[in-house]
Amino acid sequence: MKGSFRQSMAWLHMWSGLIVGWVLFAIFVTGTASYYRADISRWMRPELVRVEPTDGAGLAASAERAVTYLKEHAPKARTWFIGLPQPDHPVLDLFWRTRPGEPPGHVTLDPKTGAEAAVRDTKGGDFLYRFHFELHMPPLWGRWVVGICAMIMLVALISGIVIHKRIFADFFTFRRDKAPRRSFLDAHNVTGVLALPFHLMITYTGIITLATLYMPWGVTTAYKGDSQAFFVEANWITTPRKPAGRTAEMAPIGPIVERAVATWSEPLERLTISNHGDANATVVAVFEEPHGLSHEHPQIAFDGVSGEILETRNGGLKPAAKTFTTMTGLHEAHFAGPALRILFFLCGLMGCAMVATGIVLWSLARLPKPGERSFPGLRLVQALNVGSIAGLPAAVAVYFLANRLLPVDLAGREDWEIRAFFGAWILAALVPLARPQRRAWCEGLAAVAVLCLAVVAADILTIPGHPLRASGGDPLFLWFDGSMLVLAALFAVASRKVRRYEAPRRERSARSERAPAPSSVPSPARSPARHTEPTHA
Amino acid sequence: MASHVGTTPLKERAAVAARVVLAAGGGYGIAALATALLSLTLPLPRSEAVAAATLVSFALMAGIVVLVFAMRTLLRATVTLAATALALAGGLWLVMRGIAP
Amino acid sequence: MTPLVLAVNLGLSFAGLTALCLSLNRHHSEIFDRRAERRAVLRLRAFGWAALAVSLFVAGAWEGWAFGPVQWFGALTGAAVGLVLLLSYRPRYVAPAALTALLVAAVPLAVLAAAS
Repeated sequence: MKGSFRQSMAWLHMWSGLIVGWVLFAIFVTGTASYYRADISRWMRPELVRVEPTDGAGLAASAERAVTYLKEHAPKARTWFIGLPQPDHPVLDLFWRTRPGEPPGHVTLDPKTGAEAAVRDTKGGDFLYRFHFELHMPPLWGRWVVGICAMIMLVALISGIVIHKRIFADFFTFRRDKAPRRSFLDAHNVTGVLALPFHLMITYTGIITLATLYMPWGVTTAYKGDSQAFFVEANWITTPRKPAGRTAEMAPIGPIVERAVATWSEPLERLTISNHGDANATVVAVFEEPHGLSHEHPQIAFDGVSGEILETRNGGLKPAAKTFTTMTGLHEAHFAGPALRILFFLCGLMGCAMVATGIVLWSLARLPKPGERSFPGLRLVQALNVGSIAGLPAAVAVYFLANRLLPVDLAGREDWEIRAFFGAWILAALVPLARPQRRAWCEGLAAVAVLCLAVVAADILTIPGHPLRASGGDPLFLWFDGSMLVLAALFAVASRKVRRYEAPRRERSARSERAPAPSSVPSPARSPARHTEPTHA
Repeated sequence: MASHVGTTPLKERAAVAARVVLAAGGGYGIAALATALLSLTLPLPRSEAVAAATLVSFALMAGIVVLVFAMRTLLRATVTLAATALALAGGLWLVMRGIAP
Repeated sequence: MTPLVLAVNLGLSFAGLTALCLSLNRHHSEIFDRRAERRAVLRLRAFGWAALAVSLFVAGAWEGWAFGPVQWFGALTGAAVGLVLLLSYRPRYVAPAALTALLVAAVPLAVLAAAS
């Protein structure tokens, strides 16, 4: 490129950031929310009550009920997946896939009776989680789009580090009371630099979670493209077995489950049953991860006909494979307890803020100077900025709201929740096109605050067992509503800031700031909190 | 830097577009070739070689993208990438011929 | 155990980062209305890095060297966010807050040391 290395990196940083900025923001927001995926899912299924862990005999009995149901309703499926009841998700979650390309079948059963559970139909936190890496597109397409965005994000991070000349001198610098370009640049730098270890880690490990999809060429050459063989050799999965083509009666699942539970101390999470009814039927019992950074579920494979143990997998990974699973584990942060999880969540929020301030900076840098014609795409970029930065949080709030307000027995309820999400987002992206820029920001941010409050109101009004209405309610609802209130407050403050904001008074303002702010400007953003003004570089 | 958006001559735009294509295609291509080659040649068990090669491939790709944008001229970037790709492809071809029965 | 270690990490990180921050002239004069002396700068830097190193050691020793660094980074980021916000909105409270953080870190550290 012409100019210095730093100039070309600045160009690369700016444009790579802009082209993926909006998608990246969506990935960051949904990913950050996914740190609380299980809690969101539980909040969205208020019918479920936390229970004591089920013992081996109880799990065995409910697995029997699951198999009975699947034999009747999904006899043709090659593979059955049985999610066993857990303390905070006390139902049987059954999935089956009959043919590639067809959406999988899914049903939720009561583990005590085997009848369909009386739980509202919702995707819960899984929608946000899957959106994080599939964007609600066909899985392969979505994963590639997200992967490309992540790769560009990695390039943007590296070039961003290169162009940040005073990375240590400016480490703590956030001049919030300067001209908007200055404050936004400071905010962009601070959110980027303070959480830089997190940003680099989350971007790289995010790519690694789907590495064999993006970079399959090692498997292609060393394993002739047989990725299953690679996973088996790397000690990640148990050996898959092809159907033998001879029918055979399956052994009862109960004793298999009891034997699995007795083998390891980790809770048994799910069963995968493949080739049922065949002589090569296999039951794989998958356990919860033991405490550790690495993402590896202990597994036991049983012969489905004889009920004998075929092989067990528990740890014992070689260094590179272990690095792989540790990176995946770091990305998912299953290991994080409540306190550490809050810190991860905070880092995620800083990622959202970094992306958001970055794309706003781009349009601030292109505001026409007096007497200049506005650059043609600017209007669109500005509207899209509002549409994503205020629009996506609004859409998430509407998703939660739909979960509480749609009739419980509505047909295709979970799809309606998702339609509400996208409807809200599209609306939020279109409205700013017709509004003046400042108003659009102000209204968009205020709308998010109002929607978050509406979620809290709807939660308290529609859930009879809410801890505010009945004693002994699940504290989860309080936590969830509390965080919604905090979010509402944050967005309300942001909206107020935009509304009260005074246009930058350019050079004059920097000098006049040493004097008390003129009384005609009652802006809270410029309140003279500090009385010296030595922050000039 | 920002002000030349609307007024960039066509030639310069084409050069930038070419660099983007080179960075994306060259970056992925070289990373892919390196992954394939390392998977076969690293002195580790097969699964370890594949895992290690795949792990570093994305860092390699990011490095190449930065390199393409840092190089003085487009020609030099193209030649460097082409030479690297050729060397990797040649090595891969030799290794695969050697391994094939 | 983990909450105690995390409290130590957060407290030490905040105190250490504040010391490092005050060793920069811009922030020093923002808070104390004067430039930092050379000796003070060196002392602040030494204390700051030492606090961060002790924090890393505590995390590693009690949480293991796999979790420790992760938790250390997390605490460092969390403390840094707090410091930057405080510095921007209530710069006068920075120094007292750092002293408090140091005390807050000392108590769980004593508990941990006594228990081991």
